[in-house]
Amino acid sequence: MTLMLQRTSVVNYLKVETLSFSSILEIGDATYTQGFSRAIAIQREAEAFFGYEADFKSYSTFTDPIPIPPITETISINTLQLNPIIKVQKIDVIGVSSSSILQIGNAKHISMESRVDHIRHLLSNHSDDK
Amino acid sequence: MNFQVYNRDLCVGDIRVIGVASSSLLMVGDTQTIQLASIFDTPAESLIIGPFVPLTPK
Repeated sequence: MTLMLQRTSVVNYLKVETLSFSSILEIGDATYTQGFSRAIAIQREAEAFFGYEADFKSYSTFTDPIPIPPITETISINTLQLNPIIKVQKIDVIGVSSSSILQIGNAKHISMESRVDHIRHLLSNHSDDK
Repeated sequence: MNFQVYNRDLCVGDIRVIGVASSSLLMVGDTQTIQLASIFDTPAESLIIGPFVPLTPK
């Protein structure tokens, strides 16, 4: 396999307001990057917090395997760097969250996974209000 | 398959992003492999109508 770690990234100005929940801002190269995030997102019609409520294990969203289709064809990649610089004038990001990554630089292998179970909880029928 | 790549000038002005979330990636650079997987589920059972009690998963 051809090595592609050849270009240099040049960013003149970078502004990030918030980095949260295991997110990474990486300036430089990486060999292996792996990210994983799980969330049970519950929206209630009114404010109600119970603290610990559920186990990830009880939802298939978090236990089902995600199949990765195999690459059967052999591909030979040949890259020619005619100008080995990637230039960006300005990057302005408000938020990076939930195991996300903002990287300026090269990486070899990246693998990211996200699982979200979204639940809406409404109060009993109040459609007869009229 | 033979895949020939010529990287010529790459120059970008401004990048403005509101959010990068849920194992997403914003990158300025080269990568050999990227693998992304995501599940977002809102099944029928996840619309609960009734009094507010803590979740009691099956």
